Amino acid sequence: MHIPDGYLSPTTVIATYSIAIPLWVYGLKHLKTVLDEETLPLIGALTAMSFIVMMFNIPIPGGTSGHAVGAVLIALLFGPWVGFISVSLVLLLQAVIFGDGGISTFAANALGMAFLGSFGGYYTYRVLHQWKFAPFVAGWMGVVLSALFIAIVLGIQPLFWTQKGIPLYFPFDLRTTITALVGSHMIAFGIVEGIFTQLVYGYVKGKDQEGKAGHEA
Amino acid sequence: MKRRVYIVLAVMIVLVPLGLLSESPAWGEWEDAYYQKVLGFLPEGINHAKGISPLIPDYTISRVNETVGYYLSALIGLVLIFLIYYLLAKLLRRRGKDAS
Repeated sequence: MHIPDGYLSPTTVIATYSIAIPLWVYGLKHLKTVLDEETLPLIGALTAMSFIVMMFNIPIPGGTSGHAVGAVLIALLFGPWVGFISVSLVLLLQAVIFGDGGISTFAANALGMAFLGSFGGYYTYRVLHQWKFAPFVAGWMGVVLSALFIAIVLGIQPLFWTQKGIPLYFPFDLRTTITALVGSHMIAFGIVEGIFTQLVYGYVKGKDQEGKAGHEA
Repeated sequence: MKRRVYIVLAVMIVLVPLGLLSESPAWGEWEDAYYQKVLGFLPEGINHAKGISPLIPDYTISRVNETVGYYLSALIGLVLIFLIYYLLAKLLRRRGKDAS
């Protein structure tokens, strides 16, 4: 799901950054109210988990692979804004240090994986929180929404930005991107994110906390 | 909660080499040759992509064993994450003080 440089038109790059920058500013302001000696190591460790979980490349039939994101777990424990900022930080490091995802596409990747993942998962959990498997569904939903966003951003490229009918940027259309990305995340990587969220959330929260609603937004 | 979070993180770090089981790229994150093969051309934007050259491309450190390189990548990522949070907390606190 990490869109590399060169895949998105400059218009898309500007549009995604214009949406992401105010969200990052607000998210950082929110993080300031949450971050203290007690929470900093915890949020750091959870962010590290997101970074590591994305290193587990899981192969699926058809010659591709994918991974969970870990955004929903952070969103359930510390709220969606912290999830959004934490996973954005992971994506930034991946782009700058490891060449995983582009710089121009960082905002698009952050809106998909960090923002929609965190908020989609968080609100799914809020709706279902009394159900035992709410963290699983939340994890699944967060990643599937992320994949849907990335699929749309990629799929609109050949629709709008072509030269004499030849695509200038990402070449495959919406039908292809949605089938491949959303499909694979519904069937495989969303399940992995769901299991990861369910297991770690349950374990970290402990028995006494069961059934309680997630952290306030 | 804190102890359990650290336990999970530690287990995950130990398991990091499992991420190397797949040689397949993620969907959409292909080499230029893939586009040449499937489309017969390389889209202009992808051909002229301007990025930066990453320090550790693809989590691989040259002349270092693949598994060791993957472990080192994970540790470098971890150290940077904690460092950034530490600096961020300092920065946000200072700015908070200025404002009040």
